[in-house]
Amino acid sequence: MDKSIYFIKNEDLLNLVEKLYADYQVFVPFLKDSSSLKKDYCYQRFKPGLSWVLNPYRVTEPLKTFFTYPREELSGYFCPDKRILNVEQKTIVLGVKACDIAAHRIQDFVFIEGVQEDALYRLRRENTLLVSSDCTDYKDVCFCLAMDVLPYPQKLFDLNLSSLNEGYLVEIGSPRAGQILEDNQSYFTPAKDTQIAARKSKRDIFVDKLKNHIIPQNMPRIDKLQDLIRKGFSLDTWSHFMLTCVECGGCNLICDTCHCFLLWDEKGKTNNLRLRQWDACQYANFSRVAGGANPLKNRTQRLRNRFIKKFDFFIDNLGIPACCGCGRCIEVCPGKIDIREVLKDLAKKV
Amino acid sequence: MTKDIYRSIEATIEDIIEESPTIKTFVLRTHEPFSFKAGQFIELTLPGVGEAPFTPSSDPSVKDRMDVTIMKAGKITGLLHGIAKNTCVGIRGPYGLGYPLDKFKGKDILIVGGGVGLAPLRSFLYALFSQMDNFNKVVLRYGARSSQDIIYKKLLPDWSKTDKMNLVLTVDIGDPSWQGNVGLVTTILKDLPVNLDNCVSIVCGPPIMMKFVTLKLLDLGFNPRDIFLSMEKNMSCGLGKCGHCRIGSFYICKDGPVFTYEQLSKLHDIWD
Repeated sequence: MDKSIYFIKNEDLLNLVEKLYADYQVFVPFLKDSSSLKKDYCYQRFKPGLSWVLNPYRVTEPLKTFFTYPREELSGYFCPDKRILNVEQKTIVLGVKACDIAAHRIQDFVFIEGVQEDALYRLRRENTLLVSSDCTDYKDVCFCLAMDVLPYPQKLFDLNLSSLNEGYLVEIGSPRAGQILEDNQSYFTPAKDTQIAARKSKRDIFVDKLKNHIIPQNMPRIDKLQDLIRKGFSLDTWSHFMLTCVECGGCNLICDTCHCFLLWDEKGKTNNLRLRQWDACQYANFSRVAGGANPLKNRTQRLRNRFIKKFDFFIDNLGIPACCGCGRCIEVCPGKIDIREVLKDLAKKV
Repeated sequence: MTKDIYRSIEATIEDIIEESPTIKTFVLRTHEPFSFKAGQFIELTLPGVGEAPFTPSSDPSVKDRMDVTIMKAGKITGLLHGIAKNTCVGIRGPYGLGYPLDKFKGKDILIVGGGVGLAPLRSFLYALFSQMDNFNKVVLRYGARSSQDIIYKKLLPDWSKTDKMNLVLTVDIGDPSWQGNVGLVTTILKDLPVNLDNCVSIVCGPPIMMKFVTLKLLDLGFNPRDIFLSMEKNMSCGLGKCGHCRIGSFYICKDGPVFTYEQLSKLHDIWD
């Protein structure tokens, strides 16, 4: 028997969340608009009595919203004593999906690894338990398999839930999550081999279903992407797809791997403040320098920049593309620019 | 508490030297220990307003003072040009890798500067001067727009007196007061007194100048790996996190700002 997998009944999971609420701020998924055809789920802060439901696919907002904020105070300077790093509350996020977790390899690389570590990001990461779950359905825009991401998390989660017969198989992914199980033993029973086998067959069936959705999309293979971007630098793909770009930056802001930010200073009441604000490479001034020069002057260059960063820069620097196939950028784009179509167009022309 | 990597430390502007109508050198005294290597850059903060990246122009072995030579070009530099002595500013850094001085030992050094691009090169020169025995000779070629745009006017005569140093200046546009060379800096790269087989060139200036100097140096037979260029974009965080200064698969802030032409030659639009 695998000692890292347990079973919890549906009602016990609800009870457990109520119990954890005493020590953590807990975010749970909820169905935003059940009447619409396209059912969207969002995170909501849990409070007792709130009805919530585990999402069959990823929620609307990117997971990065828990670790960097659209706009926040980072630092005060010249008055070090007055500077208080916000005491970050212990947090649990339920409903995280495999694509979100894959994307966080990129965010961790940027903020924790590298020249120096971002202490605030690290603190939030350490204070946040990720409770992921297997996907049981997909959105039209989903293409995780094309980015080598399976629809069930295999690592880098704290707990993973796989729905099974009126309950869930719970896999422990970290010592701190193991502690939660130990503190709440009454809710859990060790998973039986038959249950683990059932999880596997459920996963396999869903992967097949997802393949039927993704393979016909005929996207270029992941190992071809870097070459396509490099060889496609001068193609008209960029000038063609940019035509409908309205420079809203939505694709960047909703992307779970996009990490660019602007440092921004303001005078506070007693202190000078340094703020951090998410930035977007699709904004016209993203790369403008003093004196007015701008290496990314036009939309064609900026659209291409987004793809170079995702499929060339990160493959060079980390060995993986900065895309997890969540399709959020496709959903958000008012210009209907579809990342899959751009890659397919490159593949056709290179 | 872990280090706050975005915090600036205080520095007082002790002196301001007018180098040209658009360029000033600010002499800073930092309130906390701060050191840098030649070629590394800092983020200079105007408190409550914002930051901009600059490469210090002073001797890196001087630990309690730092010069930053700044051309009036944008919002922050414009405001900096309006401030008075004893004003308090902030600095963060140093960032980037600086010049790989050890690799230059035993070689002839050709330094080509354009305009305010002489600022980081001045810091580099002081680093060379401190260990001149390690280098065969230092050849400096500097071009400014006009005679009044030449910076470090009072220092240049001293530098040319230094042993092993060979200095030639030029201006793009001559005037009656100027007796020297007239023409772009590429026009004074002929008949260089260096051994091309054992020479590295260090180039800093506006992108258009670096482009044509690089082409000229390649023409003269320099190996792309011996041409060191100071690249610039809108470096903001300095740590490879904010994403603004990407060039190819590098960030200028952490992988540069000094790159060999060999590193850059296959990349697109490097001079933009």
